[in-house]
Amino acid sequence: VPIGDSPVLVRSAPAGRTSRTKATGGAGRPYGERLAPFVLIAPALLIILVFRLWPLLLGVNFSFTGDGDQNGAPVGLSNYAELFHDPVFRLALRNVGLLVLLLPVAVAIPGLLATFIFLRVPGNRFFRSVYFFPAVLSPVIIGAIFNLQLSVDGPLNAALGAVGLGSVDWLGDSSVAIFSVVGVHIWATFGMGLVVFLSGFATLDSTLLDAARVDGASTPQVIRHVIVPGLSRTIQFVFVTTMIGMLTSMFGLLFVMTGGGPGGSTYLPEYYIWIQQGQMNRPALASAASTVLFLVMLVVGLAQIALLRRGLKED
Amino acid sequence: MRGARPSKWVIAVPMAALAIATIYPMLFTANVAMKTPREYILDRFSLTSSPHWENIGTAWTSGGMARYFVNSVVIVAAAVVLLLLFGSMAGFAMSHVRFRGSRVLFLACLAALFVPFQVIMVPLVRTMADTGLIDTYPGLILAYVAQFLPFTIYLMTSYYGRIPREIVDAARIDGNNLYGVYRRIMLPLGRPALLSVGVLNALFCWNDVLIALLMAPSAEHRTLMVGVTSLRGQYTADVPTFASGVLIAAVPVLVIYLFLQRQIADGVTAGSTKG
Repeated sequence: VPIGDSPVLVRSAPAGRTSRTKATGGAGRPYGERLAPFVLIAPALLIILVFRLWPLLLGVNFSFTGDGDQNGAPVGLSNYAELFHDPVFRLALRNVGLLVLLLPVAVAIPGLLATFIFLRVPGNRFFRSVYFFPAVLSPVIIGAIFNLQLSVDGPLNAALGAVGLGSVDWLGDSSVAIFSVVGVHIWATFGMGLVVFLSGFATLDSTLLDAARVDGASTPQVIRHVIVPGLSRTIQFVFVTTMIGMLTSMFGLLFVMTGGGPGGSTYLPEYYIWIQQGQMNRPALASAASTVLFLVMLVVGLAQIALLRRGLKED
Repeated sequence: MRGARPSKWVIAVPMAALAIATIYPMLFTANVAMKTPREYILDRFSLTSSPHWENIGTAWTSGGMARYFVNSVVIVAAAVVLLLLFGSMAGFAMSHVRFRGSRVLFLACLAALFVPFQVIMVPLVRTMADTGLIDTYPGLILAYVAQFLPFTIYLMTSYYGRIPREIVDAARIDGNNLYGVYRRIMLPLGRPALLSVGVLNALFCWNDVLIALLMAPSAEHRTLMVGVTSLRGQYTADVPTFASGVLIAAVPVLVIYLFLQRQIADGVTAGSTKG
């Protein structure tokens, strides 16, 4: 008899459960309970709507109004016209182009280093810890440290002097300064890409790697034909996040290292926005620059994803 | 067993050089912080003869770093608590409760993820000024919460999404309402993710300079990173004291890094493999 009993019990338990769930999940549940999901979401939603999405609309709208005497008056596209005639903003856009060109380098460095760490170079754990550390430091700290390194009589020039090369005015020469700042940014952030790549490696199919090894593939061949195709998602992620990082997290470096100079040569849109809205008291013009930056990021981001999708599929 | 073939050692050499190039600038700065200004001018490279800890004291008291440090700790702590609270509440609701509009709300959060601060900062400063929140602690805290909330929600939603429905169902059968499930099940189960997101948010807020510069410019509310930049103007001729200020701002991050490196990396990589 006990043996015959048990199936009934087993069957009745889920039945009871579904009816309970239905009772609490259906229209009959108490008002407070129906409201609960909204109460849970309300604080987050309010903050995001009021302080993130609404300002976006406000800003776009703002960019079509005037500054100063014309405060709030509609001025059409004149802010945008002024923007594209401003040599400093053009320099900022040129520098964005430069960043896009340097992007493959900024992705390849962590990619290559992650590959070596993944292939268990001696000391790989130590390297990983050291490389990642600057990525968690503030750009202000990084900038301050590198102001000392790059000063005319600082360590870098001393090292150049030691091997018989002349010193360079890293931050004072308008044709060099932007490369110095971008170089420092890459130095400071490649650790981010590195840990992302390493987590991607962890998802790689190890049997595939072993098979390639057994077939006698060289390390470059393994990288080219097994690792790169297997990491397409990760590579895409690193490309997009590195680009976003370059366009939106260099303010601290610029603020501490160059202040946009010399001669406006190290301006980026974010720095331009900050100067125009604060120092120059031109919030509407700054809003126009914000809108342009947003569009640039959108276009660059989408183009990257499209290009990478195609490129990686062809592999 | 890890048969380190010679080729691996060949690769290890440039990697070690890069590691040295990564560490050296920091050690150099720490060394400078321990010199007298005179020592620094005469020879900035040599190891300091005797460490001048009083530079740290000068930056801490006369440089105002003590005040900025307290400001930063208070603001970061408040922002992180609110981020974790709101983020986990919303993440739970979005991952486990189906209600009308839940999908749209999640997409709105994702959209906010792609709106950088630089794009909204002008109207945001104006809104904050209009509401009297500019240059106040609550204003800056709110700005940080708004800035990092989409990321927090995204991570918490995907983490909670991996918790089986059955656990939630079982808790409800035991008589919990949604708030009970959140408090008794989701908060404890979410601890690893909360730690990871919390540390990451703390670093983001601690390291930020742009938002702080805009939202809390006065010396009274200044955060540590803004303080470092103002210290530079204050001690142009006294590089060691400035370097000491840099150390004060960097050491807490180093300590957190040494203990929580894995959690930080988990947070950074959370979005990369799926979603």
